[in-house]
Amino acid sequence: MTAILVCLLSMLALQVLTPFWWWIMVVPFAYGAAAARSGGKALLTGLAAAGILWLGASLVLFLTGSGLIASRMAAMLKLGDARLLVPATGLVAALAAGLAGYSGYAVRRLFKAPAKKERS
Amino acid sequence: MRWVRAIVSLVLAAAAFWALDNRHGTFPALGRLLDPFTGFWQNGDRSDDLPETLTVPGLREEVRVVWDDRRVPHIFAGNDHDLTLAQGYVAATLRLWQMDFQSLYAAGRISEVIGPAGARQDLFQRRFGLPWAAERSLRAFREDPSTKEALDAFTAGVNARIRDIGRKGLPVEYKILGYRPEPWTDLKCALLLKSMAYVLASYNQDAAMTVMREALGEGTVDGLFPFAPPLVDPVIPPGEPLDFDPVPVPAREGAAGRGDGPSGSSEARAAEARTDPGAAPDPEAFGSPDSRTRPGAGSNNWAVSGRLTANGSPILCNDMHLELSLPAVWYEVQLAAPGVNVRGVAFPAAPLVIAGYNEDIAWGFTNGTDDVLDWYAITFRDDSRAEYLYGGEWRKTFVREERIKVRGGETVVDRVVHTHHGPIVRWPEEPPFPSMSVPPGAALRWLAHDPSNEFRALHALNRAKGYADYVEALGNWDCPAQNIVYADRTGTIALWHAGKFPLRWKGQGRFVLDGADPADDWRGWVPRGHVPHVKDPERGFVSSANQMPAGAGYPYYLGWDYAAFERGARINEVLAGARGVTPEDMVRMQADVVDVRARAVQPRLIEILQGVAATEAERRCFEELRAWNLEARAALIAPTVFRELWNELNRLTWDDKKTGLMEGMPRPASQVMVDQILNHADGRFFDLKDTGENIETLRDVAGQAFWSAVANLEKRLGPFGDGWRWGKVKGTQLRHLARVPGFGREKVAADGAGQVINAIDAVWAPSWRMVVELGDEIRAWGNYPGGQSGNPGSRGYEDRIDDWAAGKTYELVFLRSADEAHPRIVGRTVMRGAK
Repeated sequence: MTAILVCLLSMLALQVLTPFWWWIMVVPFAYGAAAARSGGKALLTGLAAAGILWLGASLVLFLTGSGLIASRMAAMLKLGDARLLVPATGLVAALAAGLAGYSGYAVRRLFKAPAKKERS
Repeated sequence: MRWVRAIVSLVLAAAAFWALDNRHGTFPALGRLLDPFTGFWQNGDRSDDLPETLTVPGLREEVRVVWDDRRVPHIFAGNDHDLTLAQGYVAATLRLWQMDFQSLYAAGRISEVIGPAGARQDLFQRRFGLPWAAERSLRAFREDPSTKEALDAFTAGVNARIRDIGRKGLPVEYKILGYRPEPWTDLKCALLLKSMAYVLASYNQDAAMTVMREALGEGTVDGLFPFAPPLVDPVIPPGEPLDFDPVPVPAREGAAGRGDGPSGSSEARAAEARTDPGAAPDPEAFGSPDSRTRPGAGSNNWAVSGRLTANGSPILCNDMHLELSLPAVWYEVQLAAPGVNVRGVAFPAAPLVIAGYNEDIAWGFTNGTDDVLDWYAITFRDDSRAEYLYGGEWRKTFVREERIKVRGGETVVDRVVHTHHGPIVRWPEEPPFPSMSVPPGAALRWLAHDPSNEFRALHALNRAKGYADYVEALGNWDCPAQNIVYADRTGTIALWHAGKFPLRWKGQGRFVLDGADPADDWRGWVPRGHVPHVKDPERGFVSSANQMPAGAGYPYYLGWDYAAFERGARINEVLAGARGVTPEDMVRMQADVVDVRARAVQPRLIEILQGVAATEAERRCFEELRAWNLEARAALIAPTVFRELWNELNRLTWDDKKTGLMEGMPRPASQVMVDQILNHADGRFFDLKDTGENIETLRDVAGQAFWSAVANLEKRLGPFGDGWRWGKVKGTQLRHLARVPGFGREKVAADGAGQVINAIDAVWAPSWRMVVELGDEIRAWGNYPGGQSGNPGSRGYEDRIDDWAAGKTYELVFLRSADEAHPRIVGRTVMRGAK
């Protein structure tokens, strides 16, 4: 839980301060590479943090003046319903971040064997 | 195993990153686009609002922008420089992507943004010489201090905005297409001007006319496309005395087959001169598939003298018809500084108000559609195309190298060959361009290539205090030629057909000219004071609707391909009977939908079609036509039937084999057809070539046209019923400038048609309607299709469309000062220069 929160807040800060979308991949990768205790945890942490962040942020914007642009984007992307763009935004972030988190962990594994005792 | 897992997961993560960070064909980079912090989610409603205070580098004094309840900026500055700089900043705030895209399009650079799909269009722009023309005009702008200052300030304002927006505030189209705005330049303003010249002053049928002359003889062509068409009421009222002594006009001389062209239309002469199309030239060599598509760039303007109005103040009206798009063509703005207070509409990509009014005068435009574009057949010495024949000698060509950078593709390098006439646009070995029928191997002589400074004219119009200022301002208006209507608070009304016109013999340039013969060159110009004009005419009003500018008494030939008679005739008949006119009457008149073409021929056609209907659908269509009130209303079916019947009547009359190559070639104007129906029902044009000995007349052709019209409609629209209503069939739409799906507006149900005053057709329609009453207090009304904001995520993007479609206009807020308390003011922005 703490890991998710830390990842989420780091992404939020970095996204607000810089114009780059890819912090949602870099942060989970870093977490996976530096601190995650298992591949599953790395994956889930990235997935949850980025998913919640993008889903939540797009939901807030959807409800506060971005509904019209969402409906135009939905028409452009042939999505049908503009509301689908909120979960779609969350899903894209979640998948990209989960994958990044897992690969971060996998890279660390190359240099450090999984310590079973650490996990217990 | 660890290695495998690491490599596979890394590859997958990298692939995901790459997929989300890049465009795929035309599919946008999803990661960037969906990012709620910088992607499209940030382009919500009011995301392009300005804060209450703002630092704009370059300002010398404080500038105050007052926003009214329709998002119109009223800009108050302490000097001209700041005024224009602030206009640039505000224009870029509202419409940055649009102005940027328009300038790239004009420059032949859209493939830098949209990739290989744009390369052919870019090549056309380069070959046609738009960037070349803009560069030449820019040099002329820089020679005039006031224009130079205005353009430099405007550019500084746009660039200040570009620096301010950052990634988050970038217009959403940049995010979708995946690029960033480059710095604005003065050249881009010049490109916009040349782009308008292209839209309004490049339409020509020279190639098709030449093919037709070869096939039918010049006499027939003159009969079908008469210089003095029937039914047309010229812009300048016939009988207005000339206030100048005409200069001599070059005579037609030289090559065999020349001689004075016939004047006026005479069917007898046409028939006599018609030769059988024996050895017909190949129309493919000239005509591109759309050579008959005439742009609907028509417009209306008129001014009514105080003698005819209810309260004695003159009223000026203008609606300019352009191809509709979103973001809207225009935005509304008020510009005020010491010496100027002007209100109206502007192009986002250019400084100044284009059409509008100030505290003393009002002005507005309709397109002149004169012939200022000719093609010259060129004889090259050899395949190197380094020399061409002119006046019995070999002259050298020069080459302008054009580099078209293509996103995701190789740069196209094109060597555009120029003669002294102008560039060669299309070579014989090349396929036709879709945008224009270009005679292969011919050189283009186009007035817009010549340096000119229309900004100077606009600058003066914005500041004009009376008639003399207006006339002086028009001295700098070269291209596109316009009917510029005028009215002022002293009661003067006027209309000048302003522009620069080559002195021509009658018909010069209707056909492809001889590029080797110096006699075919343009030789001199119509003096400025000699262009058609009228001031305070007897009849109490001036008007124009793109028709022929002047009648038989006018001494110069300016062109032949003017708008058909309908709108002009309707405007003049309404105003001729007008007394006690109010602005409300004028607003209603701009929405007038009486179809005078239908009115002219409907009784005759009904009489002929009596008893022709056999099927149920045919009977109902006949009944619709018979009972029609002759108005082009969205809810009626009759306009649908009439347009189809008209098309079929024209097809059967003009396109059959008797006229050889007329298939795919332009058809005569509507007034010629109306004249045939009313006065030549048994004339030979109605005879169908493929029926052998039978001689058909209007009676036969009209019956056939009616049957095939109904059959066409049934095939296209299904059984007779709701789906046949004019509003649905017409399909008025506003497409997005880059054709992004979902960013335009489809299916606008609106009254009107191209040939009525309220000229709302499918994509061409009134792009700005304005009514100005010039009393002690200036009052004005206006509306345009679209909205002030260029942001598709804003409610201000298309919030005016429904009112516009319904013919509603808004009273325009016109402030005397930034401090004026006005109930419709909703916000203020103060701009200050950087410390």
